[in-house]
Amino acid sequence: MTKVNNRKVIRRLALREMKSDVKMAVVVILSIILTCILFTALTAVGGSLINGIQQETMRQVGGNRMAGLKYVLPEDYEKVVHDSAARDVVYRIIIGKCVNEEMKNIYAEFCCAGDEASAEAIFSLPTEGRLPESIDEVALSTIALDELHLPHEIGTAVPLEIDIDGERIEQTFTLCGIWEGDSVSTAQECWLSRAFADKYAPTPTESFYTQKNMRYAGYWSVDYNYANSWNIEGKTEALLQRLYGGSEHKPYFGINWAYTTGTVDSGAVAGGAVLILVIFAAGYLIIYNIFHINISAKIRSYGMLKTIGTTAKQIRYMIRVRAALYSAIGIPLGLVIGMLISRLIMSAVVATLNIRTANSFNVSPELTLMICLISALFTFATVMISCKKPGRIAGGVSPIEALRYNETVLKKDRKDKKTGKITPLAVARSNMTRTRKKTFIVVLSLTLSIVLVNTLYTVLNGFDTDKYISHSIVGDINIRHTDNTDQYEEQTKGITPDMIEGIRQASGEDVHPVYYDFGSVNASGEAPARLKKLSEKYGSHEQVREALSMAAEGRYMAEIYGIDETAAGYCVPLEGSIDTQKLKSGRYAAVYTYLFGAEGDSDVQIYHVGDTISIECGENDVREYEVMAVCEIPYPLSTKLYNIFSTQVMVYTDEYLSLSAEPGAVCVMINTDDDSGSVREKCRAYCDEGGSPLVYADKQKYLDEFDDFIGMVKLVGGILSGILALIGILNFVNAVVTGILSRKRELAMMNAVGMTGEQLKKMLMWEGTHYAVLTAICSAVIGTFISCFAVRAVTGDMFFYTYHFTLVPILVCTVILLIFSAFIPFAAYKLICRESVVERLREN
Amino acid sequence: MEVLKTEALTKVYGSGQCSVTALEDASLSVEQGEFAAIVGTSGSGKSTLLHMLGGLDRPTSGKVFVEGKDIFSLKDEALTIFRRRKIGFVFQSFNLVPALNVYENIVFPIQLDGSDADEGFVREVMETLGIDGLRERLPNQLSGGQQQRVAIARALAAKPAIILADEPTGNLDSKTSQDVLSLLKVTGQKFSRTIVMITHNEAIAQMADRIIRIEDGHIVKGGTAND
Repeated sequence: MTKVNNRKVIRRLALREMKSDVKMAVVVILSIILTCILFTALTAVGGSLINGIQQETMRQVGGNRMAGLKYVLPEDYEKVVHDSAARDVVYRIIIGKCVNEEMKNIYAEFCCAGDEASAEAIFSLPTEGRLPESIDEVALSTIALDELHLPHEIGTAVPLEIDIDGERIEQTFTLCGIWEGDSVSTAQECWLSRAFADKYAPTPTESFYTQKNMRYAGYWSVDYNYANSWNIEGKTEALLQRLYGGSEHKPYFGINWAYTTGTVDSGAVAGGAVLILVIFAAGYLIIYNIFHINISAKIRSYGMLKTIGTTAKQIRYMIRVRAALYSAIGIPLGLVIGMLISRLIMSAVVATLNIRTANSFNVSPELTLMICLISALFTFATVMISCKKPGRIAGGVSPIEALRYNETVLKKDRKDKKTGKITPLAVARSNMTRTRKKTFIVVLSLTLSIVLVNTLYTVLNGFDTDKYISHSIVGDINIRHTDNTDQYEEQTKGITPDMIEGIRQASGEDVHPVYYDFGSVNASGEAPARLKKLSEKYGSHEQVREALSMAAEGRYMAEIYGIDETAAGYCVPLEGSIDTQKLKSGRYAAVYTYLFGAEGDSDVQIYHVGDTISIECGENDVREYEVMAVCEIPYPLSTKLYNIFSTQVMVYTDEYLSLSAEPGAVCVMINTDDDSGSVREKCRAYCDEGGSPLVYADKQKYLDEFDDFIGMVKLVGGILSGILALIGILNFVNAVVTGILSRKRELAMMNAVGMTGEQLKKMLMWEGTHYAVLTAICSAVIGTFISCFAVRAVTGDMFFYTYHFTLVPILVCTVILLIFSAFIPFAAYKLICRESVVERLREN
Repeated sequence: MEVLKTEALTKVYGSGQCSVTALEDASLSVEQGEFAAIVGTSGSGKSTLLHMLGGLDRPTSGKVFVEGKDIFSLKDEALTIFRRRKIGFVFQSFNLVPALNVYENIVFPIQLDGSDADEGFVREVMETLGIDGLRERLPNQLSGGQQQRVAIARALAAKPAIILADEPTGNLDSKTSQDVLSLLKVTGQKFSRTIVMITHNEAIAQMADRIIRIEDGHIVKGGTAND
């Protein structure tokens, strides 16, 4: 056989056929546009969210470089600069931290920036003024200036206290640069000049990693980028290997987690993949359906083409060409509309967030191009895959079959149909069972989107503000001692009885101090045996083994908390219950044992309800309590410090006061009904008083934070659900409409033999209703399954989540489907009734 | 010279109890340049026979030779290509491609083959059939007789070995039928093509050189030129 060049004629025929059947072409193109819009909207919203979250994370991290080396020397900086993998290398010299009294609420560090790029890399480039040059100049963020109660004006005198590795320097600087501070970032940068660094924090002679005493001043932080963000950790390890070989004293390195997959975790990736798959499937089904119907309708013409010598290959090619032509029109339109829609969605998203954040969610031109490319590719793939099977059918048609094609396919092994009473319902039912495969596909695709909507709703519905808050704050106001101190005792029991009284008077409300002291547990009873068992179980970790073996000797760390009944009310016992009367008697305690790395293992609980625990606080003061509950103190009320192995012992306030030689509280909790905010203001003012080490925290702050986060999640989730629901409904409309249009002749035939229009419409409605009901049943079953197993499992780890079972979205979707199933047949039937019965019968 | 020959062609539809033998042991041969008519009543198996002569359908047993080539030894794809080169079809329902104009329809099978049409030959055929003025028309702008003449032109254009006509006048009124058939015969003679036509109409069959009669799947008369 000779190689033949016949593609031109096939292409021409494909083009002509498209022109000759404009109605069909419009329907196909519309469905391609729709698919493309869905892909574009998804990738654009997803892309800008990922981008935005990455920018957000960088703000929190406080830098945009991908990786960095910590505490290194200038020669290390040179090495990195000359390494082939690293680029955009910047550095700053560590000087010290700010210990001004007014700055206790924030963490501010002093550094010297290598250059402007170095300052910009950590979002701290002065927007007004410049970086310091002379020894008495400083550049600060607006946040630091506000804390210092200084005006945002260049030239302002700034008195600062700087702690340089334990040495204090007090000096008044001149403000030479200002930039907008970001409250999200963990540290506020304060720039000093190179001259200052050279004088007070000169470059050390010895490496940080070999020195005896822990000095930080004078060492450099070197940050840099790689060509791309793929496998940053691996690249960094490779870089260290190159620069330092097998040296024991390789510098610490940091990875900017904004770039790692942390932000795009596996769950999000899986979710995105499922969404893409659903859109793919929906697009496939819609386009496939239309192509299929088109081909069934034209099966005779394909057969005819075959009789005059068109090969199967040529017919398949022709269908592919047509699909490509449709795509060429549909995809660009879909991209434009999709981008517009996603622009709208994103502006709605950023509108719910604060303005600073909004900039992060902008879609850059490069990103736009990528979104368009990806969406176009996916849409095109969908179209080409969708037309594959119809193409095979058309190509495989036997010329003979095509010439006598009349829609009834003979099948063997088919049971005869029983004769029953003919009603529109019966006919509808027999139609559904006759085309089982189609019914299955339609119901499946509908179920898929509805179940996803339901799942998303279940997830979104379960975010629990109270739970989230309870991880950060208990009650309305928490006052704690600043942790800006090296003293363990100050940090854990630094709120003296005088201060508590001060708070009480300032607020005018009841205060609930949570007292703290440390002591030791004298293991007795069954405890030693349980300890032994535990050390066998967790003996592999060196430090854990050490701590447990010490404990097994009989004494280990006890964290003693003194709580009142209000604080006790926030405790959630794992075992037993907290009885206020028993607590007040002073003979009972609630205990909880913590072992590093064994959270959630009940074997860790050395003491159980009914056991007697013996603790020692101070010299020779041994006391015994009966355990009434196994219960952890709420995190916000705790010291927030963990030992490798210790037991919390909660006793009543009075008992604590008689026990502790030097009583002090870790936290003071206040509940207030005052809506005017005056109580809050008074407490805040009391804490902010000069010299006070107290730090004020307010429930409202956490509520706002959570609302921002949840607002965004709900909005995005809602949009995605909306898209999914839309797909489902469009799929349904497509199924019903094509079901009617493709059976034009069949319906005309029924009409001709005496089925009235009314009966036909009824029959079509019954078919639609069947789809809706079948879908509802399948969705309910699968949705319940997914909700109970998958959703519960996935959300189980989220501390701010409360699982609620719901099928409300399925119910809502079913109602919509039922309405459509009643309405569409009317509209579609009206459309086909424009032609007379005879005309319809004659077609094909 | 023998252009077309069948050997014991049998076609059984279905299997088991509900099997129907549409054609049994049918042997015939057609000479180069002959105009043969296969005549039979509805359901006699004449369409089945024609479909197999044209390689549209495969027989249950038996062989068909076109110019000495056993066509069912070919695979589907090769058979299609063989068909478009060697066999021209004329159908009762014309089967023109609605999206292509008259000229494009005529040269379509040639172009499918990746070849260029013999311009002079096509013009001559069109003139002979009296459709040279309709070059640019679309099929739906033509009368039935005109459509069938275009179909005949298409069948001739590729210079096939045989032209198979399946009730070519079935959709035409009697006056037009006469015209079209005369043209078919004349062009066949003029371009010395072999034509095999099936019909149930005796009057039409009488225009052929030879009548092959088929009844209940058996060729009862005229299987070979000497019958």
